Amino acid sequence: MTSLRNLEYEQLWLNAHTDTRAAVYTFSSCITLADLNADGDFKLIVADLGTGSTNVKLKVYKGTSLHSETALLDVPTGVVSFYMDFSEPRMPAIAVASGSNIYIYKNMRPYFKFSLPSMDVNPLEKDLWMQVREEQIEVGVLMELLNNLRLEIGFAQLSTQSQHLLAQDPTTVPSFVQQYCKVPIKRQTVVTCVTTLKKALADEKAVSCLVVGTESGEILVLDPEAFTILEKIKLCHQESSTLIVPAVLSAFGLHAVEFRIVAACRDGSLRLARRGWTESKLLVQLPAQPVAMTVSPENASITIALMNQTLQCFSKKGKLQWVVTLPAAACALCPIPLPHQSTTLVAVSLNGGLLQLYNGRQLVDVIKAPQSVSGLVFGKFGQEENALIMFTVDGSLLVKILKRTAHFNLQGGSTSANVVPGVAQQIKLQIPKKTRLFLDQTMRERDNCVMMHRTFQRDLFQLRVDVARACVQALQSCNNPISLEGAEPVKLSAQVLGLGPLFKMVITLQNISASTLIQDIGILFHFDDKMYSMEKPFIKVPILLPGVEYPYETMIRNISELALSDQIRVMVVREGQTQPVLAAIINMPVCDLLGMV
Amino acid sequence: MDPIFLALSLYKKRCFEECVSTCTELLDKNPFDQAVWVLKMKALTEQLYVDDLEAEEEGIAEAFMDNETIAESARPGTSLKNPGTSQGGSTQGYRPWTQTGRPVSGVIRPGTQTARPGTMEQALRTPRTSKTARPSTSQSARTIRLGTASMLSEPGGPFIQLSRINLGNYAAKPALAKPLFLYILYHENNIRHALQLAVLATQACEFKDWWWKVQLGKCYYSLGLMREAEQQFRSALRQHQCIETFLRLGRVYIRLDQPLSALDVCRTGLEYFPKEVTLLTEIARIFEGLNNMTMSVKYYREIVTEDSTNVEAIACIGMHHFYTDQPEMALRFYRRLLQMGLYNAELFNNLGLCCFYAQQYDMTLSCFQHALSLAKDDDVADIWYNIGLIAIGVGDTRLAGQCLRLAISSDSGHAPAYNNLGVLELRKGRMNEARAFFQAAASLAPYLFEPYFNHSALSHKIGDLQASYIVIQKALEAYPNHIPSQELLHTLEKHFTII
Repeated sequence: MTSLRNLEYEQLWLNAHTDTRAAVYTFSSCITLADLNADGDFKLIVADLGTGSTNVKLKVYKGTSLHSETALLDVPTGVVSFYMDFSEPRMPAIAVASGSNIYIYKNMRPYFKFSLPSMDVNPLEKDLWMQVREEQIEVGVLMELLNNLRLEIGFAQLSTQSQHLLAQDPTTVPSFVQQYCKVPIKRQTVVTCVTTLKKALADEKAVSCLVVGTESGEILVLDPEAFTILEKIKLCHQESSTLIVPAVLSAFGLHAVEFRIVAACRDGSLRLARRGWTESKLLVQLPAQPVAMTVSPENASITIALMNQTLQCFSKKGKLQWVVTLPAAACALCPIPLPHQSTTLVAVSLNGGLLQLYNGRQLVDVIKAPQSVSGLVFGKFGQEENALIMFTVDGSLLVKILKRTAHFNLQGGSTSANVVPGVAQQIKLQIPKKTRLFLDQTMRERDNCVMMHRTFQRDLFQLRVDVARACVQALQSCNNPISLEGAEPVKLSAQVLGLGPLFKMVITLQNISASTLIQDIGILFHFDDKMYSMEKPFIKVPILLPGVEYPYETMIRNISELALSDQIRVMVVREGQTQPVLAAIINMPVCDLLGMV
Repeated sequence: MDPIFLALSLYKKRCFEECVSTCTELLDKNPFDQAVWVLKMKALTEQLYVDDLEAEEEGIAEAFMDNETIAESARPGTSLKNPGTSQGGSTQGYRPWTQTGRPVSGVIRPGTQTARPGTMEQALRTPRTSKTARPSTSQSARTIRLGTASMLSEPGGPFIQLSRINLGNYAAKPALAKPLFLYILYHENNIRHALQLAVLATQACEFKDWWWKVQLGKCYYSLGLMREAEQQFRSALRQHQCIETFLRLGRVYIRLDQPLSALDVCRTGLEYFPKEVTLLTEIARIFEGLNNMTMSVKYYREIVTEDSTNVEAIACIGMHHFYTDQPEMALRFYRRLLQMGLYNAELFNNLGLCCFYAQQYDMTLSCFQHALSLAKDDDVADIWYNIGLIAIGVGDTRLAGQCLRLAISSDSGHAPAYNNLGVLELRKGRMNEARAFFQAAASLAPYLFEPYFNHSALSHKIGDLQASYIVIQKALEAYPNHIPSQELLHTLEKHFTII
């Protein structure tokens, strides 16, 4: 049953391209598809965030090959393509949001840089820096007053310079102040997310505005030609001081007519802004942090993947429509518009490499990727109308094409939804019957209870004595891998690796006390020198911190000609003390004489 | 007395060494006496013959460099590799697992230790003492040591110089070829030469002798050529049905990890030899390997009706009853073993446990004391551990702690003892010690879910949610259906996703 369904799934998509060595590490927000040269050949533009050791780059793929590469100055938060003007040929611009700037590229050449307007700096803070510059106050005083200011207005309200200063190591503070007190202080915000909004026409190639979410809790709508701020919408109320930072933005409608911007925020709220509003309205408070979001253009319903492994759908008024529990945590999400079936699917990539396609709440298709997909986008690529582009966490690029003939089974009801009720009640518990033997034995127990109890108690006392004797013997022979109460709180465990005749022994020591340090100890091995030779018969152990496991290794060679094995005693000894602290006996494995045969 | 008759008589009395020396004297007088030559060869072979069906063990190399595997993840209940997947099988919840990731079995056989571990490292890390180690390949020194004397030099050179012998001459003479083959296989353990001889001999008898086909199959099997071995055994079975051939064909399928085909073969065998104990034992073992204990016990019961002194069957049924909450039945089976004359530490240990759980308290501790007095070095740790369990049951935590420490001092790798010590420390409120013990248990035995679960619950209690989350996932890896672990994970996930 399941395997058949899988086959059916597979037939809908063609594997167009797989490059496991693309080494592009990115997220959905940094991928876009655009007809860069206005020749009908759509390119894939992707910002490669790199691995940390490699540089951040803007890469353009033409078909399956890398077309061009541009180095970026900083890590980008979003890449979008949009039409700036009506000039012919209709070539779209690429906007890369990075730090507090938005870089516009046209024809893949730098075209314009837009910086977010700087914000007001607290007058007291400005004053303080001025005084330092004129050497009216000491650096220590500046630090103290800035700290007070921080407590008063909050860290986020300070300028970048002050924020950096407060985070400095005390030794580097004077040089930092020396270096930066000449620079005029600025407070600048950072772009968190970016999207586009059509300006006046709903045409595919119509001019679009940029919609930018900022760290200061604002949404800005920018004019595409003059780069002036057309709208400025605050996400939080004027009076409340807590910032609400947008994490994912989605905008639709026309700027000149009517538009809606939905923002999923970092505090888990879903907020709506419309034309003419200066403040956003809370739609709904989500139960968990948002991962990715899409808004359906038809009925403005919001589908959002959350961090609690669910996919939830809200109506445009913020009413919860449905919840689907995902089999794993969601990594990315993208809409898949299917005009020929007049519907829009939602593709959700899950942790582990599974990709699920939902039509509403109904699962219609499953795609398997070799790794978790972190970046996912669907649209025109090359000459192909419906391409699904996936970037996995290990940097490989996969392109799948939806077959022209593909027809998703949208009507088939999901079988899992109609579970027969009462299945749980029908499971039989396997409880064995009480046997006759059991009853007989119970009778015996009842008849002889006094005798049995006496025997048991007598044996128990005898056992206690035996155990105590054995314990004393173990203590005297120091045959204990863990210390008893009152002694050094050390634990020893040993492991022998290898097939022989050369073995490696790993001794792990752990200080199991809460706070005492242990020092001046060593590990000593006691063995038959006719059987074994050891690389380090004594290991000096440095200080042992509580709770940390310290492994020590040594090589042991079996030098006996017969294939015999022996025991090795490991002892933990203290300097100037004849009795070992701990000891353990290790049964050495027989060595496989494969090499000797 | 005629010296040849004397040698024959010695051979029949199984006095092989004297027989060999008599034969050597005779051969010194007349080196071309073929009868004496054959007799000496047979005596030498008998001296070192091992039941290779029982002593067979799959090596690490065979388990990993396995090029016969068809499916990476087989369907549940069709593979010996993942016994946890069978439905209705026992789980770790009520039947503990051994260090190779299988439920404990009633008897220890080479097969019960050869579960296929997930990784090479895990296979190499399992405590490899002289009793538990796996050979690196099935053709390693151990089998040679078990089966041959060729390691020890013989005075005056080896009896037969294999490299000088002309195998073609002997192949045509069945009376000489068969003992010579067995000598090469068991005494010299030279499979290449044995195979060469077998091939020549089969050709000489025009592929009509089923015995040679079985021997060919044996050689192919030990060389790891499973499909060729299967072909030979099948061909032999068409000519002549023999229990050994059925068993060997079954083993081929087990090596190919097709236990269901192996079961089919054994059932076909049972049609020719109804109620044959060795075949029934094989079937019961395969079901045990598939973790289908109900079927396994059904076949063991059949064995007991045929052979009421079969130790393996009685022990396995007893173990099954013990872990299905009927200790009084288990007690009866183990008592039967005692009556049969078995007298060892393991048996007394099991009897003690059965008595305790069947509420026959007067016998419990005396059984354990017997067990302690009989115990050898390698099982004394288990006995101390079980006495520790009794002490916990009685409520004497101090005694329990002492017993568990004794278990650890006699076997420093006894993971369940570390785990229980951790729980005792936790009861005393000493978190650091408890955590150290849980960590030790988990590093010694990653197949146990209890240390992980306890560690996670401890971390959760003291508020270290991150550690708790990481550790509980390992617990669920070891035992995916453990409900308390699932609940803990669920609570933790709620903690993490809630705003």
